Amino acid sequence: MGNAIELQDVTKSFGKKVAVNRVNLSVPEGSIYGFIGPNGSGKTTTLRMILRIFQPDSGVVQVLGAAQGKTADDRLGYLPEERGLYKRMRVRELLTYYARLKGMYNCKPEIDRWLRELEAESWVDKKIDALSKGMAQKIQFISAVVARPELVILDEPFSGLDPVNMVSLRDAILSLREQGTTIVFSTHDMDMAERMCDTVFMIFQGKKVLDGSMESIQAEYPANRIRVALSGQDRSLPSLPEVSDCVEHGRFFELTLRDVEHSNVVLQKLASQRQVTHFEIVKPSLHDIFVHIAKPSPSVEQAA
Amino acid sequence: MKKILTIAIREYKAMVGTKAFLASIVMMPILMLGGLVAIQLLNKVGEVKERRIAIADGTGELTEVIQRAAESRNAAIDSALNDQENASMAGRDRGGPSLNRGEKFYFEVVDQELDEEKRISLSERISNQELYGLLEIPANALDPLAAAPQDSPINSDQATNSPLDAIRFYSQDSGLSPARGWLQSIISEHAKALRLRQAKVDPIIVAQASVPIEVKGMGLVRRASDGTVVAAEEKDVMSALFLPMGVMMLMFMVIFMASQPMLESVLEEKSQRIAEVLLGSANPFQIMSGKLIGSVAGSITIFSIYLVGIYFLAQQRGMLDAFPMHLVPWFIVFQILGVLFYAAIFLAVGASVTQLKEAQSILLPVWMLLMSPMFIWIFIVQDPNGSVAKWFSLFPPATPTTMMLRLSTGQTIPWWQPATGVLLTTLATLAIVVIAGRIFRIGILWQGKTPKLSEIVRWGISG
Repeated sequence: MGNAIELQDVTKSFGKKVAVNRVNLSVPEGSIYGFIGPNGSGKTTTLRMILRIFQPDSGVVQVLGAAQGKTADDRLGYLPEERGLYKRMRVRELLTYYARLKGMYNCKPEIDRWLRELEAESWVDKKIDALSKGMAQKIQFISAVVARPELVILDEPFSGLDPVNMVSLRDAILSLREQGTTIVFSTHDMDMAERMCDTVFMIFQGKKVLDGSMESIQAEYPANRIRVALSGQDRSLPSLPEVSDCVEHGRFFELTLRDVEHSNVVLQKLASQRQVTHFEIVKPSLHDIFVHIAKPSPSVEQAA
Repeated sequence: MKKILTIAIREYKAMVGTKAFLASIVMMPILMLGGLVAIQLLNKVGEVKERRIAIADGTGELTEVIQRAAESRNAAIDSALNDQENASMAGRDRGGPSLNRGEKFYFEVVDQELDEEKRISLSERISNQELYGLLEIPANALDPLAAAPQDSPINSDQATNSPLDAIRFYSQDSGLSPARGWLQSIISEHAKALRLRQAKVDPIIVAQASVPIEVKGMGLVRRASDGTVVAAEEKDVMSALFLPMGVMMLMFMVIFMASQPMLESVLEEKSQRIAEVLLGSANPFQIMSGKLIGSVAGSITIFSIYLVGIYFLAQQRGMLDAFPMHLVPWFIVFQILGVLFYAAIFLAVGASVTQLKEAQSILLPVWMLLMSPMFIWIFIVQDPNGSVAKWFSLFPPATPTTMMLRLSTGQTIPWWQPATGVLLTTLATLAIVVIAGRIFRIGILWQGKTPKLSEIVRWGISG
């Protein structure tokens, strides 16, 4: 299986600001690839280069086997964050328009199938501005996938959805993957990215800082946190020099160790004073890694 | 090409498939021509004003003449008011201009001769609106030398030496007052009759000899395609003035109504991030081409609706002969060029800004260009082959409207002039579309602060 997207040494600047700086990326066909990064980090610029909206200043952008050109590719579907719909158009009219723009002229069966799948059939004659935020988000999703693209780029697809609609959209994305569609989605929801993505890519200040499976990323970051539970009426935790931070989560305490090697020492010290009912070494979550990378360094904070 | 057509169809439907479109089709002519119609209506149903005028008659004989004429005039106005259908007859008394049909005159006789104190006192009554005006007639007013106008060659030095060399009418609006014109005509007519009698000439013979001979304005005799001779048509004010004005207004309305929605369309696409979806499906050239084609199709729909409407109206009124069918092909060509020219500018500006009010301030000079023929249309109609008309109609932003204005006057315009107009406007439109395309491509993804005009110009030049 090849790569749906290949970025080689790609750079894009706007005036003096380097938005994307020598980024390399390979997105395998049929995978779900998560794009994460703080606002203004170069995420949208990278996505726009993949969509052929922007041309890179240097480097190579190869999408679905084709090198970059000035023509948009009908094999790509795109869902922008929150907006992207004509408010005065009716649902079917809008979906038909977007499908035709992608070269699909006999689109009625596909539109009906997606409306059925996302339980949106009753909205078909409604105007977009009469839809709730969640409904509009579903219609927007259908508009991105209605022309059966081989690669779908979704920018914050779960924004504005309640938990029930979130599950139905997540299932729709997973079913697309099962049909062989490659999915790239950008999100600030780290839990969702961690649960859904085969691979995660993080860009920060225009540079790639993470790229790989969750396991490989987690392996790169030290497991210096432990979760413990103690029995008895006394809820306080003894003060230990090996622990730099302690956060209470109900009956659990989450401790950050000064050194990864300290976990055994801490367990021994706790067990000598109290009865330990739960002890777990916590793998760093994507959220932790994100915050670790994106938080301003102390020198920057001082300067600010 | 299919993508361009898909975009064009959506733009067309978005333009013509709304209630706002139907409303604007009805409202635009009302707004554009409403002023003229309102003046006509007000002229017909306007209130009758009663004007009280003081008269100081040094001759001692003109007061009676004027009062008799006023009574006759007032009676005619009353009669016309009683019969609305004949309201227009009210102005046809003793040659008075039509503007004064709503004014009845009454006179208050004061001293035969006035000193400065009396004049001041009467002027104050005019200021307090007790009186409308004061007519001061010197004793020698009926002497042909003394009463002649100031600039007349008859007004010799000896006449200007008299203490009061002319009849004077004092009022707050004497410069424009219809009363002054009416009084002048009454007194002149009386003086003329008096002089004729003094010269022992029968005024009736003079009146008969003075009946004006009408010179009818005619078009040209021409030979039809089947060889028959087509008689010349009578030219009236309608065909000489209102037809060209109507054609010009129609061109303006069509260009405006088809171009303005482009601005709103692209602003919506930009603010709602629809532009990104479109650019993910089509390139900027395809998007802009689709929008321009949709806009032209919309303009042809607008023109067709008005054309059919005007045709049926002309048919109903029996004015089909005056219907300028031969101008329709020219109109369509200039309309397409005009819509492409202005819609491209509107698209470029819409893509460069984030709010409608920012676009409006940038577009002010563009509006001025589009409306420029409306400022000088009367000069163009009076002399459609003059230098101003010729060169202005070859200035591409004004060509569609001005050239149609010239063609609709019915005068022969050398064929090369509209042809050159088409050529120059086509070249200018192509240049504008290319420049607007560059601005559109960059502007549509531009976020944050609105770029400066110089920046937009730079995008247009260097891409």
